[in-house]
Amino acid sequence: MKAWRLLAVVAALVVLASVPAWGSDVLVQFGINALLLAVLAQGWNIIGGYTGYPSFGNSVFYGLGTYGVAIAMAQWHLPFVIGLGLGVLLAVVFALLLGVPVLRLRGHYFAIATLALAGVMAAIVSNIPLAGQNIGLVLPPLNNDRLFYLLALGLLVAVTLTIWGLAHSRFGYGLIAIRENEDSAAAMGVNTTLYKVLAFALSALFSALAGGIHAYWITFIDPGSAFDITLNVQMIIMAVFGGAGSVLGPILGALVLSAVSEVLSSELTHVAGLFFGAVIVAAVVLMPRGLTDLTRRLRALGWRYFAENIRANRL
Amino acid sequence: MELLAQIVVNGILLGGLYAVMALGLALVWGVLNIVNLAHGSFIMLGAYCSWHLFHYLHVDPFLGLPLTAAVLFVFGYAVQRGVLNLIVRAPMFNTLLLTFGLDVVLADLAQLAFTADFRAINPGYAGSQWQIGPLVVPLVKLGAFAAAVVLTLAVWLFLLHTRLGRAIRATAQNLVAAHLYGVEPRHLYAMTFGIGMALAGAAGGLYGTVSQINPYIGASLTLKSFAIAIIGGLENPLGVLVGGLILGVIEALTTLYVGPTYADVASFGILLAVLIVRPTGLLGRTA
Repeated sequence: MKAWRLLAVVAALVVLASVPAWGSDVLVQFGINALLLAVLAQGWNIIGGYTGYPSFGNSVFYGLGTYGVAIAMAQWHLPFVIGLGLGVLLAVVFALLLGVPVLRLRGHYFAIATLALAGVMAAIVSNIPLAGQNIGLVLPPLNNDRLFYLLALGLLVAVTLTIWGLAHSRFGYGLIAIRENEDSAAAMGVNTTLYKVLAFALSALFSALAGGIHAYWITFIDPGSAFDITLNVQMIIMAVFGGAGSVLGPILGALVLSAVSEVLSSELTHVAGLFFGAVIVAAVVLMPRGLTDLTRRLRALGWRYFAENIRANRL
Repeated sequence: MELLAQIVVNGILLGGLYAVMALGLALVWGVLNIVNLAHGSFIMLGAYCSWHLFHYLHVDPFLGLPLTAAVLFVFGYAVQRGVLNLIVRAPMFNTLLLTFGLDVVLADLAQLAFTADFRAINPGYAGSQWQIGPLVVPLVKLGAFAAAVVLTLAVWLFLLHTRLGRAIRATAQNLVAAHLYGVEPRHLYAMTFGIGMALAGAAGGLYGTVSQINPYIGASLTLKSFAIAIIGGLENPLGVLVGGLILGVIEALTTLYVGPTYADVASFGILLAVLIVRPTGLLGRTA
């Protein structure tokens, strides 16, 4: 079973890596978006899925990553790689500084505090001249979608390997312990503050890299699109739809939902958003533990799987 | 000095309205432990309900409030009974996600039904204002403020002194114990959510008289409601009223002295500061 799964993952990776060789421009562009969303969903998975802290601040990390690249390239004429470094630095420092007070909050309060952070950032950045205020910044274009595709895929592999390593390490077990019961974890000797802040920073690192790549690819950024809270909601939806707290679930969720929303918005322009919302509602009610749990247990239980989920969570 | 006084008056008038917006959110959050990301969309639906009553049936927006609230109550009761009750015991971000999905559905349905055009409820007395010394008080805003204060006090008295209000408070404290004393949780949850959404609907009707509405106003109203509920705490409607007034005045002052782009920074900054320094709300304990 283990070998079979490994083989499937490798085969999927080969197919994904070969897309630029045979895919159309539209497919490659769709792929870049979907892969970057998958990276973001994985980044959220570290703090939300494994540690159990429903962060709405990951779009801030993404935004800082985009602005790191944009400021370095558009304002200072530095190479892309240095921009990525700057973005990561900004995001990680932000995560470390704000993580300490904000991660003391639990549950809904943490969610709302990070939501407020995300709301504040767009307004602050739109008042900074270096960041182009509310007009935004234009980056030098690089018309090489295939390169961006491979960058995005490489980043996805990196974040997934990190999460895989995490899931089998002392650090990862610590995070899971915090998710299940933070007080018990602390009593067992887990340095909860340190673990949470590190998880937040790790999450920030990958989100910022995804933002940086997206900024260079799209060549234009402004505060509204860089610090977009709906992007954060998308990450959460994709991670939870696929299976938060699993190694591959968020990727599955991101790719499936990206495809669904792409098809919908081209076929049923009027009701695409409506249908997307309905899919979310249905998914949360019928398969609250995501696609990975569904694939594991649907065969054994059949339709009773959905009934049992409802029974487990209803009043 | 006169300008400052005028700004504070404007802030207070707006703050009363903010308070009613947040009241339903705080009630649902405090009692059902559901953070309703669709709250703003319910406010939006209330605003459209009031607009339709005014535009087609020429019902005065203030007199139409009970009807709007009743419509939203029924809708809220049905949503809780049919959907939200199914996931009440699920992990927190599942409830967040579900209400977000609901928000998307409501906003898109509203766009299909009412188009994305901006609407406003403009009764004949919309332009009237009172001159009190150097201060100008627009009649509509004063009416919205007065209605907001009355509603807040009514909710407070209702929770304290009625049988249903006591059942709601008992459930907020201990669901199992309340159940043992004869509270039927599915019905009570739906009643609570219905009342919360009736308040959201009334807030929407008032909002429509002081501002323009479209199907997508919900998200920012949800965020504001959060800020107020956090500042005021979840336990006491009077706390929410104070929270709304604080936010209204701070937004007005920031807009004047720092700049309109900083109004949201100020309100969310305060929200953050309150959460970090005093996570139980400025007044009293949160649930």
